Amino acid sequence: MKSRQQTNQVTVRLEKVELVRPRREGGETAILREVSFTARNGEITALIGPSGGGKSSLVRLINRLAEPTSGNIQVEGRDIVELDPLQLRRTVALVPQKPFLFEGTVLDNLQRPFVYRQQPLPGAESEEVRHALALARLEQAMLHRDARSLSGGEQQRVSLARALITGPRVLLLDEPTSALDRRNADALAATFQEICRSQQLTVILVTHDLRLAGRIADYLIYLEAGRILEEGRGEELLNRPKTVELRRFLAEPSDEEV
Amino acid sequence: MENQSVVNLELVDLCLAYGLVLLSIALARLKRIGQEGQMLWASLRMVLQLLAVGYLLHFVFAVKSPLPVIAILMIMAAFSLQVMGGRIRRKMPHFYQVVGTSMFIGCGGVTFLFCSLVVHYSPWYDPRYLIPLAGMIIGNSMNGASLAAERLGSEMRERRDEIEAALCLGASGRQASESAVRNAFRAALMPTVNTMAAMGIVSLPGMMTGQILSGTEPMLAVRYQIAIMCAITGAVAITAFLILLQGYRHYFSKAHQFEIE
Repeated sequence: MKSRQQTNQVTVRLEKVELVRPRREGGETAILREVSFTARNGEITALIGPSGGGKSSLVRLINRLAEPTSGNIQVEGRDIVELDPLQLRRTVALVPQKPFLFEGTVLDNLQRPFVYRQQPLPGAESEEVRHALALARLEQAMLHRDARSLSGGEQQRVSLARALITGPRVLLLDEPTSALDRRNADALAATFQEICRSQQLTVILVTHDLRLAGRIADYLIYLEAGRILEEGRGEELLNRPKTVELRRFLAEPSDEEV
Repeated sequence: MENQSVVNLELVDLCLAYGLVLLSIALARLKRIGQEGQMLWASLRMVLQLLAVGYLLHFVFAVKSPLPVIAILMIMAAFSLQVMGGRIRRKMPHFYQVVGTSMFIGCGGVTFLFCSLVVHYSPWYDPRYLIPLAGMIIGNSMNGASLAAERLGSEMRERRDEIEAALCLGASGRQASESAVRNAFRAALMPTVNTMAAMGIVSLPGMMTGQILSGTEPMLAVRYQIAIMCAITGAVAITAFLILLQGYRHYFSKAHQFEIE
């Protein structure tokens, strides 16, 4: 893993990113404060920490679903504000916690990104569809099923296949397994790891599930109250926490383990 | 429009009719619904407002220049905008600007076309025609407009997950809000379509009834009614369409970010 650090390229870099929101009763709330980190391709970078710490707000900035108050975000060396946002979201795909599948079949859902781009739709036998299904570990037979009738785990895999079908370089995963039972969550986590390695993707994973982060993440960043308090290689960080906050967080039983 | 067969209503006749309102108030009092005061006040307002309008129209119809007539139409439109603004609780961003311009173009355009091409009378600003026709068009468009605006707002709030999912897949704001806009447009058109379908069977429309009562040949009154229904449908559709066309944009930033409270 150490050797990877030298060979892999930085594809996402955040510099002093701040996010401040006006409060309804006046004044402001700082969601993120001076957040800087880098994520490399072929690696899973996990953002861990208690809920409400700004993790989900942070990933929404990377595909520009929201705008930071200040600071700078680069994807593959270019400031994201210089890129066409629609193009950026095809390069930086996001899989949310609760998958939203559109009405229709699984195939209809996989074709959506092409509809938005006004490109010819790939058929069930096309290379794009086969490849995306294979990456998300979905059966070809599932293509014609009603997407909304699938189980939670299957829906999350369809959401993943749909995000991958246009060949993104960066994959943002926002609590992707938190709605699943442990067996499905573990299987999906293994899929994420495979995809990250085989496609040389830059994966940024948001989770409060330490077990998941410890298993699949190469690099861990601990975020609390909008600030990065600690970061490091997977095992190291979890085994030798330096800050009181992380030690306390590690001592708490996570929801998944209850 | 011949007036020879119109039966005149004297003050005594009106007092008799008002007796029915007093009877309703008496019934309300009997059942102690506690609304008698409001009923009395509402009925008095009705009488006073209509009398005022009657006097106003009396003078307006004598007007021989377009500016005062247009000013009156503008006041009517502004009033309808204000009524809508008060009725819709969670307004979409830039509500008055969006709805105001859409009504101006939708109602103004249809009224102009209708008066100049369909009911060709002269001069074009003759208040006897322009004011009641424009009034009907504005009044009906107001309902369509408020339905479109209100529904767009609620669709946008309810479809938040869907809209963000679409944006994540590279959809533009327009593409992401397509179903919200479609549903809002459908909701705006529905009442007018229903009215058209029920017309003549469920209800005899007020304008037609009025014309018949004032001595117009029924077939001519029917033709007027058909024409005005078509104009109303057109005005509602154009106004709602323009509201949605401008409205959805205010939910997105230039970078296609969904912005909702």
